[in-house]
Amino acid sequence: MTIIKRSQGVWKDYLLGYLFIAPNFIGFFIFLFGPIIAVIYFSFTDYNFNSAQWIGIENYIKMFKNIGYWNSLIKTLIFVGVNVPLQSGIGLLVAIALNQKVRYKGFFRTIFLIPWVCLPISIGMTFSWLMQTEFGIINQILRSLHLSGIPWLTSQKMALYSLILVNTWQYLGFHVIIFLAGLQSIPNHLYEAAIIDGATSWKCFWKITLPLLMPAIFFDVTMNTIYTFKIFDIAFIMTSGGPGNATSVYNFELYKQAFTFFRPAYGCAMAVILLLIIMGVTILQSKFFQKKSLL
Amino acid sequence: MYLSDGIIITPIDVYKTRRRINRKKILKKAGVYLFLCIISFIYITPFFWILSTSLKSETEIMRVPPTFVPQEWHFENYRLAWQRGSGNLGLFTKNTIIVVGIIMIGQIFFCSLAGYAFARIKFPARDFLFFLYLATLMIPESVTLIPRFAIIIKMGWIDTYTALIMPYFLGNALGTFLMRQFFFTIPIEIEDAARIDGASSFCIFWKVMLPLIKPALATLVAITLVVNWNNFLWPLVVINRESMKVLSVGMTTFRLQQTVQWNLLNAGVIISLVPILIIFFFAQKFFIRGITFTGLK
Repeated sequence: MTIIKRSQGVWKDYLLGYLFIAPNFIGFFIFLFGPIIAVIYFSFTDYNFNSAQWIGIENYIKMFKNIGYWNSLIKTLIFVGVNVPLQSGIGLLVAIALNQKVRYKGFFRTIFLIPWVCLPISIGMTFSWLMQTEFGIINQILRSLHLSGIPWLTSQKMALYSLILVNTWQYLGFHVIIFLAGLQSIPNHLYEAAIIDGATSWKCFWKITLPLLMPAIFFDVTMNTIYTFKIFDIAFIMTSGGPGNATSVYNFELYKQAFTFFRPAYGCAMAVILLLIIMGVTILQSKFFQKKSLL
Repeated sequence: MYLSDGIIITPIDVYKTRRRINRKKILKKAGVYLFLCIISFIYITPFFWILSTSLKSETEIMRVPPTFVPQEWHFENYRLAWQRGSGNLGLFTKNTIIVVGIIMIGQIFFCSLAGYAFARIKFPARDFLFFLYLATLMIPESVTLIPRFAIIIKMGWIDTYTALIMPYFLGNALGTFLMRQFFFTIPIEIEDAARIDGASSFCIFWKVMLPLIKPALATLVAITLVVNWNNFLWPLVVINRESMKVLSVGMTTFRLQQTVQWNLLNAGVIISLVPILIIFFFAQKFFIRGITFTGLK
């Protein structure tokens, strides 16, 4: 009797578990899993938001022959390659500085975090104004120092790096918080022991802080890479991909192809490649960092 | 500093060492503060500058060298910015509040429900399903954008609140992950006690567990707020009608409508930031906790 009752209870539990996660998984299947399958399928068709005919790998051939596609891929890789070390690096430095028992730590932390909650569009418009070539405050300051103004957003060479600077500025506080949490989890007695043994603070950093911070660094760099691949807002807002194609990052190109040029099938092919890139990068990073943390 | 026994230290030695260490310490501290102040300066200046620009007259903006504090304070810039595009700024704000508010209700409910199940109820494939769900965080929105847009067209939801709300209403991996972490911290004995008293599972979840994780709910609210308030790509795609736009996208038209009047534009920027900044200043710790627990951007 009791056995039957208990097994009924288990089944009830199973059902309840599935019931509780059901809404999330309905959302997951309709708006994530389904679309991923659809995007793969559409990429092999001539889909135009209406009908879809199988055309094989034509979209991919068109894409790989398109200079605009390669341009957007390279621009994104540069963006990720510069932004991630810069943002995570400065974030780590600031976190270490804040961790030195400074006064007004909360105040500094708040200041660095403000842009993170701000609308990207408002931040973009702010910096369009600050980086304006003639009247922008940055160039005015540079000129007052007898330096020449920099065409931040109007030169093909500079525009991408200007966007990287703005992006770094906007989300730095986020990385500071991540690193700060990592630093605070390192037990203090390790440092005390090391200092008694005569270690300098430099040595403490290399031998204690850095190795123990490795998981936080791995987490942050992985997240940062994934997030930076998503970059779209500021390229759309500040430069609309220009001047020329200088800031036409991957997602901007995808959006343009699908919604401006009305080539959703082509956009789907781009989306599939992006998915593969993200998966590849994540796997590579986890391998690389696993090796490092073993050392 | 304490040295081991066997070494004789005179008070003078102690004094000298202390002074040397102190001087080094002070120098290091000064360096740290200088570094932090420089970075803070880089963070405060842009806000100061848009505030200053927003209060200037149009001729004062173009002055070289620039004036840092406006000579005349043109508060009417704010009124003009608000009225631009027939008061659209107010409309965008209203739309944003409605959309984000409804998304938030859904996410709080469904994320805590699923988070509770993943933390406390045992069922087959639980951890597999959880990690599968969590892995979706990695996927950029642009990957699924086109099929999702196709769904919205099929349903005839273009230019509606439904289009903005539906994809996010049923919870997401980030919030579920957060709630799961918080439910783990609550001692299981509390739950057992309620069960012995004959409470049903949903009742335990609703009446016992949820009130216990109120701070976690506040954290979830903070995260959901930032992510959805600032969401850009999705509203850009599914909304065309001016009157249905949310702040994150509506500001674009605000810019295009003007023959770049920088003072009004900056006033608009400030108005657009006020609501979220007020919330941020009052509920800071929940935002910070949200980052440390989930690592979201």
